[in-house]
Amino acid sequence: MRYQGALFLLVFLPLVLLAYKLTPRRGRWCVLLLASYIFFFSISGKLLLWLILSTACMFACGMWLETVRRDGADAASKLAGEEKKAQKKKTDRALRGIVACGVILQIGTLLCLKYLGFFASNLNILLGKIGLGLQLPVFRFLLPIGISFYTLQAVSYLVDVYRGTVRADRNPFRLALYMSFFPGLMEGPIARYSDTAQSLYDGAPLTYRNLTFGVQRMVFGLFKKIVIADRLNIAVKEIFEHYDTHTGTVILLGAVLYTCQLYADFSGIMDMGIGIGEMFGVRMPENFRRPFFSKSISEFWTRWHITLGAWFRDYLYYPLSLSAPMKKLTARCRRRFGNRQAALITATLSLFCVWLCNGLWHGAAWSYLFFGMYHFFFIALANITEPLTGKLLARLHIPTESAPWRLFRILRTCLLVCIGELFFRAATLTDGLRMFGRIVTDFRLPTELSLGLDRHDVVLLAVAVLIVLLVSILGERGVDLRQRLAEKPLALRWGVYYTALLAVIFFGAYGTGYIPVDPMYAAF
Amino acid sequence: MEKLLAILSEIAPDVDAATCETLVTDHLLDSLAILSLVAELEDAYDIRIPAVEIVPANFNSAHAILAMVNRLEEA
Repeated sequence: MRYQGALFLLVFLPLVLLAYKLTPRRGRWCVLLLASYIFFFSISGKLLLWLILSTACMFACGMWLETVRRDGADAASKLAGEEKKAQKKKTDRALRGIVACGVILQIGTLLCLKYLGFFASNLNILLGKIGLGLQLPVFRFLLPIGISFYTLQAVSYLVDVYRGTVRADRNPFRLALYMSFFPGLMEGPIARYSDTAQSLYDGAPLTYRNLTFGVQRMVFGLFKKIVIADRLNIAVKEIFEHYDTHTGTVILLGAVLYTCQLYADFSGIMDMGIGIGEMFGVRMPENFRRPFFSKSISEFWTRWHITLGAWFRDYLYYPLSLSAPMKKLTARCRRRFGNRQAALITATLSLFCVWLCNGLWHGAAWSYLFFGMYHFFFIALANITEPLTGKLLARLHIPTESAPWRLFRILRTCLLVCIGELFFRAATLTDGLRMFGRIVTDFRLPTELSLGLDRHDVVLLAVAVLIVLLVSILGERGVDLRQRLAEKPLALRWGVYYTALLAVIFFGAYGTGYIPVDPMYAAF
Repeated sequence: MEKLLAILSEIAPDVDAATCETLVTDHLLDSLAILSLVAELEDAYDIRIPAVEIVPANFNSAHAILAMVNRLEEA
């Protein structure tokens, strides 16, 4: 079952909506949980066990944290002075130990299932090179769907309970719903317990507004996924799989097309997931905010896959930057280089760890590691050269807020992003480097170019991309298009909805001549 | 408050920190600026700011920052 498939859209989702409607409010979250587990089982079968284990571990650790905190507070309240301080320290140590256990279990499972084979095979190559006959067994495990996403949700819950920003949930089944809510199961967004859990358990009624707004968003997502992304897949596949037969300019075009495909695919699935959540009155976090209007790589990552960036910021970047050893380093650097430079050194070290993990999170391959390091390089470079750039612009009398300068920065960011995505999509890192090599050395224009798309496909793609661009420009200018549409007369409003739906049905890239494309981020 | 505004004006000179209520949500303070700010605050007020305090609600305005500082001074 896939979000964009007929089985999901025409059978599964209507049945869940019906069951939800017929169930009394108090039990509606149970309907969502059952639906989520059926959805998970339909994709990953028995691997559902991993999700159940992960949830059980998360529940147990959460309760343990809560109990230790309560008992610690009780004991401290009966003491005074130094004894009280000692008791608090003891409780803190215990809490740290429990949260560390929980996080290690969650991340450890992910590491074993996803990365063990990668590390073992690379270690074998290394052992072979240094002449040791030893060969480690290379295990390849089947991955349960969404493991990279729900593991991060589990870690955020545990850390939030440890920090005391959320209370541990006393109902394991409710926690299971937070971990598995089907609209976000395959590709996220990576929800925080504090933002989403309550609306999951509320069992909000199915209102006309929620349903129409949800369907509206879902249809737009479907449009991006089926009309744009799945059609672009034909050209992207051709260029990336036969790059040695194409010129550098065509490969660059391939990188641009792949970036568009990835955006349309991922943000389309996000629109569908968030739209479905909206139908049930569940508030899921946004994952995209018009990323191609970013003026720097750093800004790009606050607009693209927002929940992943925010997760790394809150649970890795800041804790690492503000850890005791880093603070010591900052203090030493401050005395020597001043405040900004000291913060820069700490931030750069933390950034390196964040992007190493970000690259690896996407997959167990050198190309993903390179992808992470590529973004680290440009973000760190921008941070380091910021004062110099400011001075240079002032000397050259370039107004930083002028439209041409902003446009230049946007185009520069888009180009860097497309090159990064080229490495991301390439079959191997070597292929990625070869493709990049061609881009910078082979400037020939192709004499003939079809890439598997006919005139009809090209026109459709151009119109569809233009529509998405127009919606993005309006969004960038602060126009709430959805609300505006909802305020229009009934006939016009539903005319637009039906036109969008018919556009998806008639112009979607499915059926004969098209290869079905699974949501791309589900593979991560 | 003057001491805090002086620190903020050094870290984000183009921002009217006295009135702005969206320092973080509008990306006027980025992560690097927040790290600098944390180091300055720890020195100026002799406090320790743990990672758990680094949330937009605590850094979105000068008032919010001051409230956090006061809370940590009392703890």
